[in-house]
Amino acid sequence: MSRRYALTAYLFLLPAFAFFGLMYYTPIVNIIANSFRTGPRADTFTGLDNFTRVLSDQAVHNSFVITLIFGAGTTIGAIVIGLALALLVDKPLHGRVVFRAALLVPYLTSVAIVGLLWRNILDPQLGILNRVLDSAGLPTQAWLNTNPLATIIGVTLWMNVGYTMVLFLAGLQGIPDVYHEAATIDGANGRQRFWRITLPLLAPTTLFVSVMSVISGLQAFAQAYIITGGGPADRTDLYIFHVFNVAFSARDFGYASALSFLLLLVIIAFTVVQLRIGRRGEVQY
Amino acid sequence: MANRRLSRRQLLRWTGAGAVAGVTGSFAAGCGAGAPEDDAVDSDSGSGGDSAGDTLTVYWNAGHAYQAYEDVLAEFEEEHGVTVNFQKYQWDDLRTRLLSDFASGNAPDLVEDAGWAQEFAISGEAMSLQKYIDQDGAGMGYPDDWQPTTLERVSYQGETYGIQLHLTAVLPFYNKAMFDAAGVQPPQTWDDLLEVAKELTGDGVYGIALNQDHSYAWSWMLQNGVRYYDPETEELMTPRDAAIEALQFQADLVHKHKVAPVPTTGTDYSGPQKLLSAERAAMILTGPWDLLPIEETSPDLELGIAPALRKEKQAAVQAGTSMFIPTNSPHPDLAWDLIKRLTALEVEEKATEETGMLMPRKSWAESSEVQGNERYAVFADAFPYSADYQEGLRLTGKSGEINELFGTLYQDVVMNNTPAEDAMETFISEGERVLAG
Repeated sequence: MSRRYALTAYLFLLPAFAFFGLMYYTPIVNIIANSFRTGPRADTFTGLDNFTRVLSDQAVHNSFVITLIFGAGTTIGAIVIGLALALLVDKPLHGRVVFRAALLVPYLTSVAIVGLLWRNILDPQLGILNRVLDSAGLPTQAWLNTNPLATIIGVTLWMNVGYTMVLFLAGLQGIPDVYHEAATIDGANGRQRFWRITLPLLAPTTLFVSVMSVISGLQAFAQAYIITGGGPADRTDLYIFHVFNVAFSARDFGYASALSFLLLLVIIAFTVVQLRIGRRGEVQY
Repeated sequence: MANRRLSRRQLLRWTGAGAVAGVTGSFAAGCGAGAPEDDAVDSDSGSGGDSAGDTLTVYWNAGHAYQAYEDVLAEFEEEHGVTVNFQKYQWDDLRTRLLSDFASGNAPDLVEDAGWAQEFAISGEAMSLQKYIDQDGAGMGYPDDWQPTTLERVSYQGETYGIQLHLTAVLPFYNKAMFDAAGVQPPQTWDDLLEVAKELTGDGVYGIALNQDHSYAWSWMLQNGVRYYDPETEELMTPRDAAIEALQFQADLVHKHKVAPVPTTGTDYSGPQKLLSAERAAMILTGPWDLLPIEETSPDLELGIAPALRKEKQAAVQAGTSMFIPTNSPHPDLAWDLIKRLTALEVEEKATEETGMLMPRKSWAESSEVQGNERYAVFADAFPYSADYQEGLRLTGKSGEINELFGTLYQDVVMNNTPAEDAMETFISEGERVLAG
């Protein structure tokens, strides 16, 4: 009986296996195979050359460091700002539904549109922001040139915090009121309740947000492609943007595949470490 | 229990094998069925590309989809009984699409390219057009009627792989009213330019606006006698001092003399045009592609176009697009016929009349319409001294990587204000590594 159940289950899973195999794992296998090749069509076997080349490639080191900073900035920002906004809209404020929806809209907008929008807003000469600052008698900005990485981190947060707010809001509403009531009776103030009850019970949400933010941060592309072009002078040369240029500008698909494969390993490593550390922090009352 | 575990493992194996077989089968089928190269064999083996009812795929720059070309395509479709799938992309997307096609073994029939014909000739992905030119060249006026500077950039090992479609040059565009009000003339030399720019800077207006796109920097480099790559010595940026001087001059316009804004990093090269249109810059360096945007956004602006500046010599960046037929084109004969139609003199003249785009035929440059038009005539006169700055570099097969490095060098100097000499040192060491690799 159980064998028949298993057979049925696997048969039902077969389309999913086929879909994942075709759409996800075949390209991954293809990329791994290409990472041992070189040439414009990645058709010449080159052994481990592409991987050893990474060790001395300063441009890759630069883009990896930039991407780590970008990933850290967007992850920490998404957690801190998303949680703060969630705490704010969790209160019975007037018009909070509109506020929640307004915060979520940027996340629902295409990153290409967001990129073009902010590029126009931030343009030092013709952008709206400098016109507003100038008319208010304030010094104008040239952030895309002076602080380009911080600027694209800011734009990414503007886009994403609405989503993390929704996740944290769901987490907050899943915490039974009884814990807060009991703590209040025991004399705990608001700050103590937040650090001792709210935050520990939000650990699964925080873990989910951090894992997803790190992955999307390490895979970020459009911010460099649309807003900064990786500049000025490679200061926003995000890793995937660099890989894209290696593949489609320098036309080295083999090396680009090796770089992609290494990023896959880094993402897996980050995710495993985050899950292990995060699960240690989970509590139950 | 042991039996059950074993059978599940077996089942997993069978499932996996089935999935792999299914996936591999469908993948192979997907790659094979309907791929354009299947048609190529049929169409070309039989009737030399006479493929009534077929679809001819053309990749084109989105900004160049002129009505004059649409009319040619309509006529072409009617005469050959084919459908033209006219796909339009921005340059970056067109290149990405094309390389993806090449990687998967597919190819369109005809491609408008931004100077890639040599690159794809080297990689074997562009078809030699020599047999077509030997057959039809005299009738269409190729190469005799094309500007001589357009021939080398589409040739490889003595054969022609592309036909120039547009020919442009980067020249100073200026606001005549601002110049008249300041009582200054368009500059002829770098010294003139600095003086004029100082005179015109003030009240929220910059004397000149530089482009964030590094290719525009080459006007200054060429005027200072710089070669990007010397095939004989295999050196980059020679003479080196002249290259450093040209880069530093541009940075000084921004940071020392403050007559130009810091170019904004990004992928958009229309920043200076927008500043000129908004009367926030008195002068920019650009090409005919900005004529239409300026006319549309600032119809009252009195636009002047000056001959290129002079330092060691008078020079301008030669630009423009060409067309090539991929080696795997399913319909190369039809594609060649389309090339002939698109480069006919009357089509060139219609496209110029429609958009102001400039063309590579000598007869176009000598025509009374062009010589009688103040704007076009400046460009036509600039063609003899304009140069393809990547000449020689493309043949190394490393121009993509070297251009990336030059972009970093340009931004580092002009945007970050790093001394040109220091930044050049980094560029040279990285560039030499790329060329050696």
